[in-house]
Amino acid sequence: MAQEMREGIYDLLAARGVSRRDFLKYCGSVAAMLGLSEMAAPQIAAAVEGGAKLQPAVWLDLGLCTGCTESTAQAGNPNVADIVLDLLSINYMETIMAAAGDQAEEAKAKTIEEGGYILIVEGTVMTGEGGNTLRIAGKTGMEVLKEAASKAAAIVAVGSCAVDGGWVRANPNPAGGKGVKDVAVELGFDKVPIINLPTCPVNPEWIVAVVIDVLMLGALENLAVLNLDELGRPKLIFGQTIHDNCPRRGHFENGEFVKQFGTVEEVKQFCLYEVGCKGPQTFTNCPKVRWNRKASWCVESGAPCIGCGNLNWVDNDAPFLKRMPNVGGVRPETIGTVLGGAAAAGLLVHGVASFSSGRAKGAPVETSKAYDKKKGGDK
Amino acid sequence: MSHEGHYREAHPLIFVFQHWVNLICMAGLAFSGFVIHGSFYAISMGGARMIHFTLMFVLAVNITSRIILSFWVKDANQLGTREVDTDIKNWLPQKENKHQLLETAKYYLFMRKERVISAKYGALQKIAYLATVPITFFMGYTGFALYGPAQQWPVWGFFAGGISLVGGIMTMRIIHYFGMWVVILFTMVHAYLAAIDGFKAFYGLIFLWRESPGAEEGH
Repeated sequence: MAQEMREGIYDLLAARGVSRRDFLKYCGSVAAMLGLSEMAAPQIAAAVEGGAKLQPAVWLDLGLCTGCTESTAQAGNPNVADIVLDLLSINYMETIMAAAGDQAEEAKAKTIEEGGYILIVEGTVMTGEGGNTLRIAGKTGMEVLKEAASKAAAIVAVGSCAVDGGWVRANPNPAGGKGVKDVAVELGFDKVPIINLPTCPVNPEWIVAVVIDVLMLGALENLAVLNLDELGRPKLIFGQTIHDNCPRRGHFENGEFVKQFGTVEEVKQFCLYEVGCKGPQTFTNCPKVRWNRKASWCVESGAPCIGCGNLNWVDNDAPFLKRMPNVGGVRPETIGTVLGGAAAAGLLVHGVASFSSGRAKGAPVETSKAYDKKKGGDK
Repeated sequence: MSHEGHYREAHPLIFVFQHWVNLICMAGLAFSGFVIHGSFYAISMGGARMIHFTLMFVLAVNITSRIILSFWVKDANQLGTREVDTDIKNWLPQKENKHQLLETAKYYLFMRKERVISAKYGALQKIAYLATVPITFFMGYTGFALYGPAQQWPVWGFFAGGISLVGGIMTMRIIHYFGMWVVILFTMVHAYLAAIDGFKAFYGLIFLWRESPGAEEGH
């Protein structure tokens, strides 16, 4: 039986043009992302091969642009990641499911009733107008989430929107956008473990890593194997800054910067720190895992990191081509310079007044304190 | 009637040395901090960071030892005297400064002509100097919070809590940046007031440990 499954998966891989060697290589890279030695690659391969026990999953679309779905689906060039993702039996996903209307809702209801599924949430929880800023199949998005989260074995919030509201919650946030974790207590699913995978959109490789964790390491039984940080993110994926692993880091250390786009420094691929790169405070492994089937990633393609893996990333990181965000609509550098300038001007005026009044040559000291004089006068 | 005498007892040599260390560290931290912030000067970023870190540690040790020494070293507690007492008494409330905070502010705002009676450090001055201690350690904390996340220190939670509290690492960066401006503004006002109240006497003593007699003694 196991042998048949094994052959089955290799047939599937072969049909997609993936050799066993490629498959094992990929498993090695997943092992690295999970913080395991490459020796674990065969184990991962075995987990995927034996992963015929499909893990039921429901993929909820809340307030979203569908970018995370696009990123995950990566249509057009199936690869090993797809095979792994195929191990998720996604019983409900608005964007790709064949079913529609009542039929689709029934499939979802059935999965929820059976329980033990992974709930993948994409998009912002829209709490504005009593949750009516998002309505799906006659219910508010919050009701849909509450229903789906109640019996889930775990929730995976994919993309920044599901993690903390993403760009939807950027000021002034009229839709009341929030992350899944933010409403867990209010909607009564705070006991369900939540795994946060930020960035805009989510990187499918991270979903693969979590699926492998679930299949191979029994993450659902023992959440400790996911090694989550205080924000619910797997530390091995979100534990180091982009800056720490950036291929342009050498230029940063040498003080070689792109100060303006369209210059020779940009052609030389110098460091993008000066044009607002948020790599130093963004915690993702983008430089290692890369995007679009490992083709490239933001900095490698010449754009500064805009910090989409950060919390409240739009408010915190815009304007994207500046080092720091505005404070009250003003550049922090301007505030500092104006304060320093005002102080210098104030001291200059004070100095002139001190000299012209003769005080600088030495003012007489009072003979008794003003307080004592006043007190004495009262007597 | 002019200035009181500035004797070495006011600032013992060890404190003159520590004042130099403070000055060098703060100037170096501000400069290297500006380089790290905006790289306006194309030096090695690793070098700028090394200077920044080193000076921060030196400053932290210097300030900590200054606090400890204040319990041991004896110096003048009043203006223009060679009488000494334990330095820590300079940093506690003194009867000469009682009810004088507002009057000191009035003097500097030209709302009164006579200088106020005070101990060696006036009420306003003492508060400003004392404030530099928490500000410096706060800057160290925010700096570590910016630096630390990738280090996976066992004590990281101490800094992660602060980052969550302020709403993210970017906010922490802005706080660190404005903290530097607070230090710069303090230094500007501090240097100015010391200069306007008797440049040669103050600067001679605190930088060169050179005494100068009071106006009365000089004549």
